[in-house]
Amino acid sequence: MLEVRIGRTAPSASATAIPVAQGAVPEALRDAAAADGFTGAAGTDCEVLTGQGRMLLLGLGTAAPVEEDLRQAGARAAAALIGVAHIALDARALRAPLAAAFAAGACLRAWRFERLRGRPAEDAPKLSAVDLVTDQPDAVAAAWRHASAGVQGALFARDLVAEPGNELTPQEFAARLQPLARHGIAIGILGKAELERQGLGALLAVGQGSAHPPLMAVLRWKGRLKAPPVAFVGKGITFDTGGLCIKGAEGMEAMRGDMAGAAAAAGAILALALRNSPAPALAVLPIAENATGAASYRPGDILRSFSGKTIEVVDTDAEGRLVLADALAWTARQHRPRAMIDLATLTGSIVTALGHHHAGLFDNNAALAARVAEAGRDVGEPAWRMPIGEGHRRDLDSAIADIRHCLSDRMQPDACHGAAFLRDFVGDIPWAHLDIAGVASRAGAEALHAQGPSGYGVRLLDRLVATHFETA
Amino acid sequence: MLDIAFAKPALPKSGALVLLLEEGATGASPTGALLAAADEATGGAVGRALAAAEFKGRRGQTATILAPGAGLSRVVAVGLGKLEGIAARQLEDAGGHAAAALAREPAASVAAPGLSGEQAAHVAMGLALRSYRFDRYRTTEKPEDKPKLAKATVLTGEIPKARDAWAGLKAVAEGVFLSRDLVSEPANVLNPAEMAERCRKLTALGLKVEVFGPKEMTKLGFGALMGVAMGSANEPRMVVMTWNGAGAAKGKKPPAKPLAFIGKGVTFDTGGISIKPAAGMEDMKWDMGGAGTVVGLMAALAGRKAKVDAIGIVGLVENMPSGTAQRPGDVVKSYSGQTIEVINTDAEGRLVLADVLWYCQQKYDPRFMVDLATLTGAMIVALGHEYAGFFSNDDALSQQLHAAGEATGEKVWRMPLGDAYDKQIKSDIADMKNVGGRPGGAITAAQFIQRFVNGKPWAHLDVAGTVWSGKDSPTVPKGATAFGVRLLDRMVAEHYEG
Repeated sequence: MLEVRIGRTAPSASATAIPVAQGAVPEALRDAAAADGFTGAAGTDCEVLTGQGRMLLLGLGTAAPVEEDLRQAGARAAAALIGVAHIALDARALRAPLAAAFAAGACLRAWRFERLRGRPAEDAPKLSAVDLVTDQPDAVAAAWRHASAGVQGALFARDLVAEPGNELTPQEFAARLQPLARHGIAIGILGKAELERQGLGALLAVGQGSAHPPLMAVLRWKGRLKAPPVAFVGKGITFDTGGLCIKGAEGMEAMRGDMAGAAAAAGAILALALRNSPAPALAVLPIAENATGAASYRPGDILRSFSGKTIEVVDTDAEGRLVLADALAWTARQHRPRAMIDLATLTGSIVTALGHHHAGLFDNNAALAARVAEAGRDVGEPAWRMPIGEGHRRDLDSAIADIRHCLSDRMQPDACHGAAFLRDFVGDIPWAHLDIAGVASRAGAEALHAQGPSGYGVRLLDRLVATHFETA
Repeated sequence: MLDIAFAKPALPKSGALVLLLEEGATGASPTGALLAAADEATGGAVGRALAAAEFKGRRGQTATILAPGAGLSRVVAVGLGKLEGIAARQLEDAGGHAAAALAREPAASVAAPGLSGEQAAHVAMGLALRSYRFDRYRTTEKPEDKPKLAKATVLTGEIPKARDAWAGLKAVAEGVFLSRDLVSEPANVLNPAEMAERCRKLTALGLKVEVFGPKEMTKLGFGALMGVAMGSANEPRMVVMTWNGAGAAKGKKPPAKPLAFIGKGVTFDTGGISIKPAAGMEDMKWDMGGAGTVVGLMAALAGRKAKVDAIGIVGLVENMPSGTAQRPGDVVKSYSGQTIEVINTDAEGRLVLADVLWYCQQKYDPRFMVDLATLTGAMIVALGHEYAGFFSNDDALSQQLHAAGEATGEKVWRMPLGDAYDKQIKSDIADMKNVGGRPGGAITAAQFIQRFVNGKPWAHLDVAGTVWSGKDSPTVPKGATAFGVRLLDRMVAEHYEG
């Protein structure tokens, strides 16, 4: 992450980014801006070379700016000045939370995944440090401590999502979680033998075709409140071939990101620890590789899940809901959380339904869903509420088991089916499910991230906890 | 339509009897009066049979007893569940269950003691809705294989109230049946001209009906609609149906702002040059389902003399591949003046709606516009067949639609709009293109349509998953559903009359 220094001046920065409300271009730059047609309109930028270095004007428009406007402005600054080692963000006109959002945007947008290059890319980013210039350094520093936790959690998640399947096996995923211990997070790993002993038959089935056995990671943040924890459950398929119902070759490489839900759940726990949240919280990550192999589970198999319910497997490529079914039921029984939120790159259906600009949000509790949606809106990670209808659940009636996990026909509302399936495994715990298949990774750069993983969900969960779960 | 009558609760001397029973009903329960009589007349046979069938009166539970004695050919018990707070929709479902169990009986008495007159009328509505059958093209079916139910007498203590309520509901049922008939018709029979002729017949209900042909629409500048139509030998039509119910009721000129309902009426959709695969293409006869609903709705409003001013407009075309058909890459100029690059000729519904919506808002300055269209496969992948998806620029209208959907069982779910989606239909050569890719396919279609509503309050219902059903439900036999007629009739009645 960028180094962010907070102070009244920026002595060594060679470029400065300045947010500008409509019609409020600084006096000294007014002629230059006018020559470029820049007035401060929302989303427009103007770069001016001056004796003091590069000046980047970031238009905010007429409306009173909210956090997301400043995050996006900071992100535009980072994108435009990525080749400059050290920049200043002029936050003197901003209240502390907006100043922090300004820096957060720059940090989010500047992230790149460079670990696996043998030599640096020609366009490798040089930007490494930001001076956040403010007249109220103490207040901004406090706001930044809060905001930076979510940013670090999101970047931790992105680093995991970007890793290819040969690097990030289930075992390697577990190893990457170990350093979180130094932030006060307790880490437990349930290996294959333990999963067998406890009867997580659905998770085990999904992982049985791979040379890398499945596991379940449990991350606990104690917090200080005397209350049951809030639980995040994330789908962690380190690579998804589809299993015996193998996917088409085209685009299969993107399936290295099929663990983005687990990465986001882990990143959210990290964020809570970094800002020393009082809320007890828990991340449960069922991690497996869905491989084609001589030992793979098959269409038609009946699985005995941790909950005791039997599941008819229809399509082995709908594996995410199987690992989540066990993880949700296990979390509900072992920890009785206040609320459970799961995140999963679950269905292509949700991409057809909502595209890339909203995650799908399903729930068994309207109040929780409203809070999740609100948190998403506030941090720029929007989610749209979708239904679980009676018919969606009825479609899953099996002729041979307690439930079947999907339908094989084309043109199905598979996102609704997936959510209806999961609901059967959460019992009476307030629960929300985020289908993030359309938002976890993008083929091109977006407002708050470069091409690749977005880290979607980390900042949403951090905000949700901060707003609703830090009192008993 | 099933012949419905109302009579005082009394045990019939012969024929079939339906007992609508609340959960745990006995002879002493409000709904159990005729259960006691039937049980006594049959020497206890009815009670013993229901016990043997483990009939408890749970909602949706049914049990049929054949020839139990006392001259009765059949007794059907239908569970109502708990009576307290029972919704009209649930009573209609009970009527539907009864109708399904009565197919072999020419006439039946349906006992609804303990229910209000209005509730009894909803039972009648359910009986009627489920008894619908599209039978025009069966010529060799044996008489004994045909459903026989022609008359149902609902037994209620509140006959006048029941008759009053039924008069309004019957008009809605007739609208539903008109819509189901239109949607069921094959495309070689129901082309745009034929559908316009069927609309013309609605003048009998007091509707004003105007029909526009290709000349008029070309003259107006309907470049988007005409582009879709030009591949077919069957000429397009636009039909405007006007109902001045508020003006008539108040004895003065109609006010300026009517409600407007707009329907996509592609009488057959081959996909055009971007032709669809053969499998399932026969379903595309129902690609005029949105228009079918609008026509049925206008018939319902006129039939029950709704105190409202409303306009129904349907754009009717056939989408065919041919030497004169529109091509991918063509640019057309819509009636609004905006240009459209046609990337995929199978995204034709939005082109038709573009011109009709612009015309509607410009000519009528409506209070709101609600359009219905079997628009996208993406909608089916999003929500399936249980909900229609809808999009709106108006929160109050959205809430009204949602509530009316819950009340009638024609459920709708709001979906998002936004600038990020709108960007997906940017064109390199024209003002917009007509498809935005697979991601969010129903949303980008709605974004396209929104560009033609000129900021008016508007909702778009994508009914691709709901106009046709592959299986029976309590009040909708499989086939054409007329989805939206009851929903919109209800919304009008709740919020826009009086």
